[in-house]
Amino acid sequence: MIRIAELACGPEYSGIQKEIERAAEKVGAKIVYPEVSLEDILNVEKKFGVKVASGDLNLAMARAVRIIENPDLADAVIVMTCFRCAEAAIIRSEIRKFIHEKSRLPVLSYSFTERTTAETLFTRMEALVTTVKFRGLLARESQKGLTAGIDSGSTTTKSVVMKNNQVIGTGWVPTIEVIQSAEDAYDAALSAAGVNRADIQGLGVTGYGRFLVGKHFDAKLVQEEITVNAKGAVFLANAQKGSATVIDIGGMDNKAIAVHDGIPGGFTMGGICAGASGRFLELTARRLGIDITDLGKLALKGNYENVSMNSYCIVFGTQSLVNSLSMGCKPEDVAMAACHSVAEQVYEQQLQEVEVKEPVIMVGGTSLIEGLPKAMESLLNINVIVPRYAQFVGAVGASLLVSGLLEG
Amino acid sequence: MAKVIVYPLTSTILADLVERMGHESLVIPTEVRKKIISTSIDSPPLNITPDDPKKGLKWAAVDVPSGVRGRMAIIGPLIEAAEAAIIIDDPGCLTGCSGCNRANELVRLLIKTKGIPVLEMNYPEDENEARGFVRKIKIFLEGLK
Amino acid sequence: MRITKYIITSPESDILPSDIAMKIYRSKNDVNVKETCFGVIINGEEKALNELLKEIRAMDPNGIFIKDRGFPPGDARRCRGRRGGGARPGFYMIEHESKMLPLISKALASEREDMDIVCPPKKRPLDLEKLEAIIKTELS
Repeated sequence: MIRIAELACGPEYSGIQKEIERAAEKVGAKIVYPEVSLEDILNVEKKFGVKVASGDLNLAMARAVRIIENPDLADAVIVMTCFRCAEAAIIRSEIRKFIHEKSRLPVLSYSFTERTTAETLFTRMEALVTTVKFRGLLARESQKGLTAGIDSGSTTTKSVVMKNNQVIGTGWVPTIEVIQSAEDAYDAALSAAGVNRADIQGLGVTGYGRFLVGKHFDAKLVQEEITVNAKGAVFLANAQKGSATVIDIGGMDNKAIAVHDGIPGGFTMGGICAGASGRFLELTARRLGIDITDLGKLALKGNYENVSMNSYCIVFGTQSLVNSLSMGCKPEDVAMAACHSVAEQVYEQQLQEVEVKEPVIMVGGTSLIEGLPKAMESLLNINVIVPRYAQFVGAVGASLLVSGLLEG
Repeated sequence: MAKVIVYPLTSTILADLVERMGHESLVIPTEVRKKIISTSIDSPPLNITPDDPKKGLKWAAVDVPSGVRGRMAIIGPLIEAAEAAIIIDDPGCLTGCSGCNRANELVRLLIKTKGIPVLEMNYPEDENEARGFVRKIKIFLEGLK
Repeated sequence: MRITKYIITSPESDILPSDIAMKIYRSKNDVNVKETCFGVIINGEEKALNELLKEIRAMDPNGIFIKDRGFPPGDARRCRGRRGGGARPGFYMIEHESKMLPLISKALASEREDMDIVCPPKKRPLDLEKLEAIIKTELS
């Protein structure tokens, strides 16, 4: 049983403690609370560096100290506090850094509301448990044999076929009917690779539709997209040793993953509004009357500073888009402003929740919209790598990991 | 007999002194008891459900963190029922039901602006202060009869 | 309605949690008792429990303190054994206040109407002009 230490303030009073426990149970884990004394709480500043007005946050910090002093008490850590609490946001971030710097325990940081459900937490919790349970598998650096991967995403379904550490075929279709789209993408990848389905030694599946698709194909590996994409990204970018940061701006949500030796150490997944996702860029391309694949190149010619754009909400973002065009702004400036706005939100919301260490690898379909990695580079002041096959990252990760299950 | 709300709402000392001096102390555990004996809900440990932060909107706006509003769903009715209050100004270690300082600040504000008799004091640090502490509470509570 | 109460003994009280438990057992009331490090937790019908509490308080009127508790003793929803260890958050407050109980006990024992209580005023920050003078002297 995987033990997840809960360092939190507010879940019981937000009515979501049961949801946390339900999500943990679903992934075969148990929530634990490290034992601390009153003295540990009263003297928390000496060991953690600060004491705050809210006692439950001091208790969370004291528990963090206890875990660092006794790492055997837990296998993973979740740090959870109420959304919109400034005091808690500071401490949540500091606890995450504290655990990250002083131990090898994977950490999940999350701010909740009363609307947070077990379903919201499930993928995150699954990733946390995977990093503990399948450490050996995740440490795998090369793909062997003939394997395939399917990434059943919210917007597109991707598939790859790999042979002896090389991608030999890819397939990419919009997600319409989940199973049919997976069939189509898989067929496309098989046909590009020139192999038959029966020859595939192992199939790995990830993404939103993974359970349905995994069952349909009787896949050997059905895994959430955080660990799989992290693995795929460091494999494709040839950054399997040491630290790396993976940014995946998806069609429906965004992921930021701090990776060490190919294994996620901390991650966030979310996005308040579609305004911070690939969906907004699609909408921008449509409004500009161009194909989404041309948006990035157009953006590279533009300057975001010439357009006032705020896509914090997709409705307001669309208004900005319409207003700027009606005021005579150039399409290239609007395209870059849209890229910058999405990148800025991911920077402000997601990248503050993980340790950003070089190399920074951008993956997923949106990473091919050239303006987006460029905007991220300018925000981070760091070179951003977009590896070949970046849009197939989940399928590559699944194909690579499933090859590890074929041995023994 | 007056209904006296105490702050911290989880204080053993204040609840005991109020009760031993013949008044009713308004404390969180009695509210928690109501929640946990209700068999129709199952949201351990406190049976606070996501509906409670919504009930808390009566005392705090929607942009106030859910943990504050959830606490207010329990504490708000106690404040409304209170006829007098004893407040410790610097209570030191507060955890659990009193573990959120934003909620505690709101609770103190609502008590103090309600217009009921309020006794404010600090916890005693020596025997002399302790005698003053008990004496002040006794005089305050006798004045409520 | 069944209710639950904490009975907390001052660390300097001569009464032990086991003494209280024995008294409850002898009363033959339908009351559940759980001994803890700071006293006992009891659970029973409100009326019977309140009568019993009077007798328990009389064992050491100034050294026994009573407060309500939401959960019955050993409730699976709060029991640390079943909930991944670690004390429930409210426990620390009881421990914190417990340290103050000897002072309160003594104050209750000595409480008389005619007694004058003079508390010296708390220390205030040093007057700025005095501090300035000290700085000048120290640095001259």
